[in-house]
Amino acid sequence: MSAAAPLAVREAGGETSEAEATRRERRARWCADYRPLPGVPDEMIGPDGAIRPAWDRFLDRLADLAEDEVSARFAAAARHIHNSGMAYRVYGEAAERDWPLGVLPLLIEGAEWAEIAAGVAQRASLMETVLADLYGEAHLVAAGLIPAAAVAASPEFLRPLHGVRQPGGGRQLHLYAADLSRGPDGRWRVLADRTQAPSGTGYALENRMVLARALPEVHGALAVRPLAPFFQAFRDGLAAAAERAEPRIALLTSGPYGDTYVEQAVLARYLGFALVEGDDLTVQDGRLFIRTVAGLKRADVLWRRVDGDFVDPLSLNPASRLGVPGLVEALQAGACVMGNMPGAGLVEGGWLASCLPALAEHLFGEPLRLPGLPTWWCGDPAQRDAVLARADTLTLRPASAPAQGAFTTRAFGLRDPEETGRLFAILRDRPGDLVAQEPVQLSTAPAWDGPGLVPRPFVLRVFAAATPGGWAVMPGGFCRMSEQPDVQPVAMGTGVRAADVWVLADAPADPAAAPMPRLEQAPVRRVSGLLPSRAADNLFWLGRYLERAEAMVRLTICLLSGAGAVPLSEADEGTARRLRGLLHAWGAVPTVVGPAAALAAHALSGREAWGSARTHVLAARRNAASLRERLSVEMWRSLSALLDVLDRPEGTGSEAQWLDRAERALGLGAALSGLAQENMNRAGGWPFVDIGRRIERAINTCRFAGLFAAEAATADDLGLLLQLADSRISYGARYLLGVALAPVRDMVLLDPYNPRSVAFQVERLAEHFAGLPALRQDGLPEPQTRLVRSLAGEIAGTEAAALTPEVAAAWEERLWAIAEAVETRYFPGGSEAARPERLVALA
Amino acid sequence: MIYLLRHVTAYAYRNPVTQARCLLRLTPAQGDGQRVLSHRIGIDPLPNRRESGRDFFGNATLALTVETPHRAFRIEALSRVEVERMQLPDLASGLSWEEVRERALAVPSLGPDAPVHFTGPSRRVPVVPEVTDYARASFPPGGGAYAGAVDLMRRIRADFAFDATATEVATPLADAFAHRRGVCQDFAHIMIAGLRGLGLPAAYVSGYLRTRPPPGMARLEGADASHAWISVWCGDGWHGLDPTNAIGVEDDHVVVARGRDYADVAPVAGIIAGSGAQTLQVAVDVVPEDGEAAAAG
Repeated sequence: MSAAAPLAVREAGGETSEAEATRRERRARWCADYRPLPGVPDEMIGPDGAIRPAWDRFLDRLADLAEDEVSARFAAAARHIHNSGMAYRVYGEAAERDWPLGVLPLLIEGAEWAEIAAGVAQRASLMETVLADLYGEAHLVAAGLIPAAAVAASPEFLRPLHGVRQPGGGRQLHLYAADLSRGPDGRWRVLADRTQAPSGTGYALENRMVLARALPEVHGALAVRPLAPFFQAFRDGLAAAAERAEPRIALLTSGPYGDTYVEQAVLARYLGFALVEGDDLTVQDGRLFIRTVAGLKRADVLWRRVDGDFVDPLSLNPASRLGVPGLVEALQAGACVMGNMPGAGLVEGGWLASCLPALAEHLFGEPLRLPGLPTWWCGDPAQRDAVLARADTLTLRPASAPAQGAFTTRAFGLRDPEETGRLFAILRDRPGDLVAQEPVQLSTAPAWDGPGLVPRPFVLRVFAAATPGGWAVMPGGFCRMSEQPDVQPVAMGTGVRAADVWVLADAPADPAAAPMPRLEQAPVRRVSGLLPSRAADNLFWLGRYLERAEAMVRLTICLLSGAGAVPLSEADEGTARRLRGLLHAWGAVPTVVGPAAALAAHALSGREAWGSARTHVLAARRNAASLRERLSVEMWRSLSALLDVLDRPEGTGSEAQWLDRAERALGLGAALSGLAQENMNRAGGWPFVDIGRRIERAINTCRFAGLFAAEAATADDLGLLLQLADSRISYGARYLLGVALAPVRDMVLLDPYNPRSVAFQVERLAEHFAGLPALRQDGLPEPQTRLVRSLAGEIAGTEAAALTPEVAAAWEERLWAIAEAVETRYFPGGSEAARPERLVALA
Repeated sequence: MIYLLRHVTAYAYRNPVTQARCLLRLTPAQGDGQRVLSHRIGIDPLPNRRESGRDFFGNATLALTVETPHRAFRIEALSRVEVERMQLPDLASGLSWEEVRERALAVPSLGPDAPVHFTGPSRRVPVVPEVTDYARASFPPGGGAYAGAVDLMRRIRADFAFDATATEVATPLADAFAHRRGVCQDFAHIMIAGLRGLGLPAAYVSGYLRTRPPPGMARLEGADASHAWISVWCGDGWHGLDPTNAIGVEDDHVVVARGRDYADVAPVAGIIAGSGAQTLQVAVDVVPEDGEAAAAG
């Protein structure tokens, strides 16, 4: 069986010629308008004008699916992407965008891939060697192979890291990436090297999960090489650099507002790394620690996604708020391992391309296996003369900036007369600041534009991970494809799609031996039990905001429906007035008068109101956004759905419609707490969500009781209170006589068997506190434990009859004190948590 | 000349600070016409960790961690330094500035003294085209590099007003340039930007300057200041020039640290964990060991 004879194979399978005709017709139609640009290499159409074998096989398999089936698959994939919160952010934009995954993969044959992989591994070795030299003895500079001026002028030459050798072999790079495209001769070449903190591995992983799910038959039939072994190798490489077995590895993120935060969360979860921000870390006694709810925990390895200059405001960029003061000192002392080393971004500079061919010969005695772009560094008089001789055909760019090929670096255009004068001034005064390159025309690959295939320019990012046994190259990659037919190198932004990259194994897969889907979705490791204080803080507030939203939804339902089984009588204005007054006091409605539907619109969906359910859910989602790696896809989806239900324009709809929305919101809220309860890793922080919820619920219930269970409470008041506390059914089952003050108070506040009562919440809090790590070693209870035990004792000893609104108010106060004690003890703002409220630079 | 130096930096905080981490560059440089006869740095409260080292440019550093909660933090550096420099170079001597900038690009070294470190933009000294154009007037075609630098220094002294209220430590040099006023740090940054804009290597130097009280007046204690100037590479080595006073660097200047700009040599850099306001007081004394009485008399 061979790829060149697919027809014969299928006929042997006994297919009807009618099905075959349909397939051929589909294929022909899809490809009818496919015209590669003249002189530009293309992935699908080979230099001989014939379709390449890999694409031939792919299209055959794809054409097995009817058109509407293909579009249904891709619609499902798009939904999956939206629901899973897979997103990215365009630099400078606040909102995240859904990940724009193209429907066609980029296909690369095994033999061709072997060449690429060898070339990428060679370049990774070169970069490692060059970095080690430049941050060490600088022999390559003395030998005249690398211009000292280009190195010294780079903002990424981080001098405090000079002479620093990491434990485990002094490695500079753990992850390297190269951006590739085909040159005019059809050969692959490197547009840019990525050594700072390459992004894209997580997107590659997600792209694969989505596409393998959308096209399982095609993916399976083509024997696509899996990505999981690469991630295992990367993880092993980081772990091997640490000084102890089972090292703790953390991913230093640029934070939830960084452009690739979602990717970082995906990777942390997949690889089992702790996702930490600079504030989560501290250097003490020259060692690196993570601040967790159980105190300081040693971090052995830090994989940074923060630029090198920002990792330490003390030794490096003082303006950084992303780093850890003292981190460079810890590196100098060899107390932790960092991948990549800060300062590794140095070799991303375009100037290096002018030296690389000679470096490969000098260091390895071999030519570059993957050429770069022809590049001239203008600081060298001979190269400068060469540039001046043909300046109008070249592109000038800053020598230190990362080379072309990925996220936007604007090229100087010599054809722009206004810039020409400025550029020649730089060439005269500071020629070392510039490099010249030949302009790049990107090669093309097929994209799906609805009716069929079209050629589109793309950049392929290929990754190499350092392992003790050498470089492991990911069989696949991260491909960005422009939606425009003819462009300059592409950044992820408007008009750009991602594509999965399928590297085909040499032998087609045996469908029986390799069942679909592959193992990509199986995490390599489980999330570690480590809970950073900041994450605990976010979890706590996630719980509180969700409960607060639920309380608001319940109040709105009462407003719209009366007290349900115990109807709110028309005559009693007191109950309704108290209810509306509470909505106003809690910032949900601007006024207490007006039709119930209008007030409900404010209380549920108000955009201006600080107390509307929507506002609380938005706040919950902000907390959740910082917890991506800890929340399941289902939780994120439910949260989005809850927000969707509440996120309606104000002032529309009847009472019935608002009631329906409120009830749906209540249902989704219940689903969310169920998911948290059932799905969240207990070690991963669920207790803090629950603590937040219970404290908030207890506080709200005390407030409700104070309002609706006073001595003079009417039947309507009590009925409403039962509804707010979701206790009507339990009450009705226990008391057949109808509502009365003492039994209602007992049920809502004191009954330890009613899961909505204050007593129940307080008992759960006491249990949680007992189960959390204690910092005190003298055996005395911590403040939050003391406070909750004393409140529990008082509740146990209180009789319903004596339970005045004043008592309820006093309990509410004490619950606030418990919340404060929790924050002080476990969260970053607390004094016990050994973390600065804010870092201040000395004047 | 032997100097007794005292440099006190005192912080007061409204709220207690639980952790402070500092990097000090307060130790006078050894060599190049200077000899440190004695030196010590006192810290209050006592630090939990205290680590001496050298930075990339060879400046002595002291890294501190204080983990005792405190409301006041005081650093006192005491030094006794002998200064005896070579004579200033002849204005007419040396290479042309065009030659110097070509040579600077070609020096195959990343050593701490190599000119390449001081030709590119740095954190506090970007290339500002206006400043480059201002500097260009001092460098006619074929003119000597050192003579041009001295001319630029004199023009800065003439064109800019010393004004301690005009700028702060963090003021960008473009602002100080636009307003034509500032303090020694601003003048040094502006001069460096002008030289580098033309491709000439220039370093930032921090240290002290001996001040002479007006005739008949006693020197006021603590009234001196830490000072900053520049050093320019002219192909034959580095030469100190003080744009604030329009003088070459001789025996009145004591060098502490040398870097690309202020950010490389800040006498006290630090991060504290705490909230609330802080105040800073600095007192410096530069006292010639045998000259005090004479000057006062």
